[in-house]
Order: sequence, then structure tokens, then C-alpha cells
Amino acid sequence: MTGVRAPGWEAPVTVTELVNAGTLAGARMYGAGENPVRGVRIVDELSVLGTVAPHTAVVLIGTAASGGWAVEMAMRRAWEQAAACVIAPSGGLSESSGEVLAERLGITLIFVDEDPLLVAVRVASAASRPDAARMQLVARCATRLVEAGTSARRVLGVLNAELPGTSVAFLDRHGVLLAGRRDAAAGGRPEGEAGESVPGWSAQAEVPDQEGGVLGTLVAGGSSRSPGWPSVVRTVLSLAVAPLTAWAARERLRACRDFARQAALAERLLADAAAPEADLAPATGAAGTASATPASAAAVPSAAAPSAASSAAASSGAASAGEEAGPVRMAAVALGWPVRGPLTAYQVRPASGAGDAALAQTLITAALGQVPVTVRGEGWAGWSALDPAELAGRLERCLPTMPWPCSAGVGAQVPGLEAAGESLTGAEAAAAMADPGTVARADEMGPAELLGALPSRALRAPATVILRPLLTIDRDGTLLETLAAVLDEGGALKAAERLGVHRNTVTTRLDRIKTAGFDLDDPATRLALQLACHVMLR
Amino acid sequence: MSRLIDLDELGRFAAGARAFATGAGDSPYHLALDWARSVAGKGVELVTAGELRPQTLCVAVSLAGSTTALGEHLPRGDEPERVVHALERRLGERIGAVVALNLAAENALVPLITAALLRVPLVDGDGSGRVFPLVEQTTYALGGMSPAPLALAGGSGELILLETEAGRVEELLRPVVLAVGGWAVVACYPMAAADLVRVLVPGTVSLLIRAGTPGTPRTAAAPFGVQRLCRGLILSVEGSTGHDAEVSLPSQPSSIVLREPDGMRRLVRLEAHNEIVLALADGAVVATVPDQICMIGTADGMVVDVDEARPGLEVDIMVVKAAPVWHTACGLALGGPRAFGIAL
Repeated sequence: MTGVRAPGWEAPVTVTELVNAGTLAGARMYGAGENPVRGVRIVDELSVLGTVAPHTAVVLIGTAASGGWAVEMAMRRAWEQAAACVIAPSGGLSESSGEVLAERLGITLIFVDEDPLLVAVRVASAASRPDAARMQLVARCATRLVEAGTSARRVLGVLNAELPGTSVAFLDRHGVLLAGRRDAAAGGRPEGEAGESVPGWSAQAEVPDQEGGVLGTLVAGGSSRSPGWPSVVRTVLSLAVAPLTAWAARERLRACRDFARQAALAERLLADAAAPEADLAPATGAAGTASATPASAAAVPSAAAPSAASSAAASSGAASAGEEAGPVRMAAVALGWPVRGPLTAYQVRPASGAGDAALAQTLITAALGQVPVTVRGEGWAGWSALDPAELAGRLERCLPTMPWPCSAGVGAQVPGLEAAGESLTGAEAAAAMADPGTVARADEMGPAELLGALPSRALRAPATVILRPLLTIDRDGTLLETLAAVLDEGGALKAAERLGVHRNTVTTRLDRIKTAGFDLDDPATRLALQLACHVMLR
Repeated sequence: MSRLIDLDELGRFAAGARAFATGAGDSPYHLALDWARSVAGKGVELVTAGELRPQTLCVAVSLAGSTTALGEHLPRGDEPERVVHALERRLGERIGAVVALNLAAENALVPLITAALLRVPLVDGDGSGRVFPLVEQTTYALGGMSPAPLALAGGSGELILLETEAGRVEELLRPVVLAVGGWAVVACYPMAAADLVRVLVPGTVSLLIRAGTPGTPRTAAAPFGVQRLCRGLILSVEGSTGHDAEVSLPSQPSSIVLREPDGMRRLVRLEAHNEIVLALADGAVVATVPDQICMIGTADGMVVDVDEARPGLEVDIMVVKAAPVWHTACGLALGGPRAFGIAL
């Protein structure tokens, strides 16, 4: 049975351990308590103290415990006999003078409320079977940890309560205190530095994260000199690793769930806003519009009357849709999202697949303020009340903070939430077009940007199908290259210049292309072929 | 070689008797002193026990009970005469001298008043060498003398004669003293001068007269030496437990905890049961009865009673050595820690 335990469990228990480990739970101890306890002696009269062996826990009863004077004399004589400690029933001696004398003599005094004879039996058992006493503490800690559940704070509360004389802290991987006592974090030294001769020791246990790295570290320290105690504490710390791992997992889950909730809220807002006007309450009228949405009426110039009206209708519609829409809008407002007036959509697009949405949300809102963040296409999108230039500037500062290389796009400014869809599309296109680390604005995009933004990967398959007749005969790719040059440059002459060949060569190649079944005089065919070439050659 | 205690010496005697006396309130002390001055006349004759004829009947006279009660319930003035005459009637013999039971404050003056009123000499000596709470705790008892027959006179004219075996006197006396008003003058230990010579702590009256002379150090009032144990600041005064319940004393046990303000800064505990019975310093016994342990206030130099002790008071703890007879086995049995309920 002892094989599983670390060395030190068989070492005699110290007085401190008796008090800390439950044998004397609830007792008040005065003095260092560092002496090992090898036996117990029940003393009922002072004269017996002359025959007490060293390292004995002296339990006072009867006349020896009957008054302050008797306890003080017993402490003196126990000290002369090098006893481990004096255990006295509370009430005999005032605790303040007991404390003074314990400090002066350097002998540990323990006041117990229970029957001293019962205490003596338990101390005797702990003294004769120190490993059993320590196992008892570990078992109690395990029970309390189960009760604490998956709260880091409660787990640390249990550790600090059940391991008195010991400070326990939970630190993140950078050494920042997450829970527990700061003094453990400050005083804790790396394991192994604390030797038996050094007053003070420490114990650690690592809490793994989901990838098996280090999420955080439990650090415990104290001043007890018991050789067995650090080993016991280490065991208890390892018991706390599982609940702390569960705590971390639960927190992650909650963050994800929160992201999903806010994303759902954003989608709901967009859906409500984009609903056909026919579905909105018809009776609201002009008066309803004016009174219900003064903010939007003020924010939108009168020149944009139709969109202002529709915006107002959307707002009032959402408001008058009753219990259904109300909570959505309320929740959005509570979150600080822009729900009225001109707004601009954005999209942040990671270069290589989607990352942690909750983290992205955190970083994006840190840069843009309280905005919705939803998953859209290959990135995260939402809208802001900022104008496109300011939004682009914010996104430029945001991108370097993202843990993955990302690009970003900003849509055109639209008058209200009901038009957010088109701004979002523009933002998505701009983001797709932008290089990693840069921000593109949809309202600044030209034809070149549009071509660049073509989803070439998606179009490659249809392009291959369209061009298959050509590709079948085009062994070295010169025909495709020539077709692209002719379509791009608008004629054989310029194409010959671009390719650096004679004009006749180009004409010959065009003839071969036409024999493959392509009618270059048909505008639709030309456009399709030009796109296909662009996709294939990019 | 007899001599007279005149009024001047009376004052010095009273001052000397106060040096280490506990339980001496100002008002009963001055009352006793005024009473003594009013009856002393030209003076009171002081003799040694050896100067008396061996068969002279001597009697110990003392105040019993609370001196505070004496200050509030004034004596009529005839108590000493009535109490001695009662004993004389019982014994069928006139007394030839008065001796003190102990010489603490009023207890020193009452025998002198008695001697003055009866015009008999006062014997130079006492039955204690210090003061003990019980009538039975005397060197007279140690020497085999019995306190009974004992006569008691109260301030309202009461007169009571106790005749019992030696060990029961205190037990019978205490309720009677309470019944007559809290204090009484007692006459006890009737014995021949030849016996008194043997059981007396001699010379203590003249010692106190010398000690009461202005400018004389307090230590002069201790016939067998005095030792200053330490200075201490009173931290707390607590009720105490653990005293043998079989021991019955007029007051409840208490405990005074002090701390040496400098030097070794020891934790000192004075265990009191009627008087300070035991002194511990850091748990080690440094003084016990039968030696007399007393606190002298450093501010005014007055003896601090156990029931006057209060936290914050600074005192010198003095140990007045008891007469050698108290340190014999018999003496310790009668006046040692066990007699006060402390089983060391």
C-alpha cells in the first residue's frame, strides 16, 4: 500500500500536521509546531511530567489542566522534558497568556474543545500510523473537491481551507494569479529548491489545456518543516487538477456558446430588417414613423427620403412586431450594437481557414467597439456605425492583433440595417480581394479588383469543362495563352505584340481554336471564355 | 527590660505594620490608629515574653473578618475589654499580657489597644512573622497551642465564646463574624508565658517600630529578609480554577497575569486565594507560601491588594521570607501551597 506514495509519508507527523491534517481539527495552536510527535502521554498531575519522554505530545487532564497556573507549570515542565507539544482543554488558561508563554518557551500549545482523552487517542493513532493520518487528509480533500465542482475559485477555496498553514495559488502560464492566495504565488519557489534544511517549501501541479500544453500551474507553499507535508500537499494538488481542467473546458464552452448566441442575434436582426415591407404593420403611417424613430429621421438626410422611410418602417415594424422582435432589438441595444442610421459592414477573413470564433470576436470588438460578429463565408462579418474610412483604419489596427494572417474588407456605407445585406456582400468581396494583412474597401474597388476577386478556385472546375475542347488539342498551352491574349487585348495584332510572335501566327492559332468549336464572334461566348482563361491562367 | 510605646512610637509602629500588609484600607487603618491614640495615654508597656513570669496567662488578640466592614461599622470601643473579660471568666484567671496574632496593619493595633485598655503589657512578637488568613495558621498552632477557647466581641455588643477542637475554629468563626456585622475582635490562644516564649516569633513589634521610622527602607519591616522578585505590568486579572475544593478560604481564587516590562520580559502569574499563594515566571515556580508574596505599586509605593489589581498597573513583586518555623514540614502543612489548595 505504501508503494504508491511518495517518500515522506512514513515520517513522524509534526504537531502542525496534527492540527492541519484533521486529527486535531478545530484546535487552536500557538507556537511553531515543528516537532515530530512520536508518542502521547496523558498527564493528570504535574509530578508526572518529570518522566515524560522527548517528542511526546502531552495531553493535560485533571488537576494538571485545572487552571492557568497548572497549565503554565505543565508547559514549563514539558519544555524542560523536550516534549513535542502540550495539549490542554480550552478554558483552563487564557489563550493570550498561553500564546505568550508558548512563544517565550518555544513549546507548542494546543487548545482543544473536545474531551482531551478522545484527543489523546486520536493523536496516539496518528503518531503510530503517520501514513494513515495523511491518507485521511487526502481523502477528505478529495471529498471536498468533488463538492466544489468546476469552479476554479471554489477549488482554490477548498485547497486553502483544507491545507491550513499552506497557501495555494492557481497561476496562468505567464505566472499571473488566477485564483487563490497571492502569497503562495509570491513565495512559491520551483520545486526542488526547497530542501529539508530550508524553512519553507513549495509544491506544484500543472493543469493541462485541451492541446496538452500548460493551461496553468497550482503552486503551494508554506513554512512547515514536516518532511511528510509537501508530499501530502503535492498529492492533494494533483487531485485538484481534474476539476480545474473541467473548469477550463466549461469556460471555453460558455464562451463559444456566447459567440453562437450573439451571432444568432445578429442574423435575426438582419433577417427582421430585410423582411418585405408588406409584412410590416401597415397602420404605423407617417405619424408613427416620425414619433417612433426620431433618431433615424434626424440621422438620415431628407434627400434620401425613400430609404429613410423604409428604414423607419423597418424600425417601427420591428418595434411593433410585438414580443417577437422586441427582445431581439432590446438585446442588440443592450449589447451596444448599432441598429439604426447609416452603417457600414466589414468582414475579416483568415487566409487559411476559420480560427477560434470566440477569440476573433474578442479581438474584433476590441478594435471596433461593440459590434456584432457572425460567421459569414470564410470569415467573420458584422456592421458598425463608423464610416468606411474610419472602419478601414480600425480594421488595419485590428489585423496585426489576430493570431492568424487575415485580410479585411469594408462595404459601402448604407442608410440602415435593412440595406446591411448589400454592404456585407461588398465587404465580403473586398475581404476576399485584399491581401493578408491589408484592408480593402468595396467603394474603392475597380474592374481589376473585381477580376482579382474572382473565386478562381471555385470557377476552375467549370472553366476546365468549358475549355476542354481547346485543352484537348492544346498540348503545350500556347493556344490557351493565345486565346487569353486575344480576348484581353481585343485583337490579334495587340495579342501578337504581347506574345512576341508574328501576327499570322496568332491568326493561325485562332483558326485552330475556332475548329475546336468556339464562336469568338458571340459576345456571351467571348465573356465566358475570357473569364475561363483568367481563372485557368491565374 | 520593659519599655513604653509612646504616641510617637505608636505612629511609627503603625507605619511599619503597613509596609507589607495587604487588605489594609485607608479608612479602617486610620480608624484603628485614632482608636489606639485615644486610649494609649502615656504609653503601652512592651515586654519580651521572657520577661514575664512563666505562669503569666497571655492571650492573643486580633481583628477577625473584613477591615472594610470595620471602616463602615464603627466599634463601640469596649470590644477588646469585653472579649478578654469573657475569656477570663471562662478560664477563671486574669490575663497578664496581650500578644498579637499577626502584625499586619489593624491587626497590630488592636492588641496594643487591648493592652492599653486593660493596663497590661504587650508582648514583643507575634504568632506569624507575616499574616495568614486563618486564625489557625499561626506559629502558636505549630507549637501545639490551641486557639480555643476563643472569645469574640462584635460591634453591637455581641459576645460569643467558642469552645471546640483546634481544627474547627475557623469553620465556626467565619459565619459568626459575618453574623455580627463582618468584623469582630477575637481573643484566643490563651497560654502561659512559658509556652509563648517557645511558640512566638519574637521581637517583631520593636522591629516594626524601627521600620516605621521615616527614612528607613521598607525591607526593614521584614524580619527574615525580603526579596524583590521582579517588576511587572498587570495584563489581566482572571478568575482562577484548579484549586483544591476541599480547602475553604474566605475569598475566591483569582489569577493576576503580568509581564516584565524590561529585562527578561517574563510572563508572570500570581495565583491568589485570599492572598498571593504562588508566583510563576514563564511557568516556573519562583515563590510560594508560606513566604509572603505581595505587590507594591510603583507609582505610590503602597501595597496593592489582590482585589485592587487591575490591568495597566505597574507593580514590584516582593517576597517577604516567612519565619523558619513555617518552612518545616509542619509549617508547610499549615501554611504551604497545599494549605491553600495548590498541589505542586
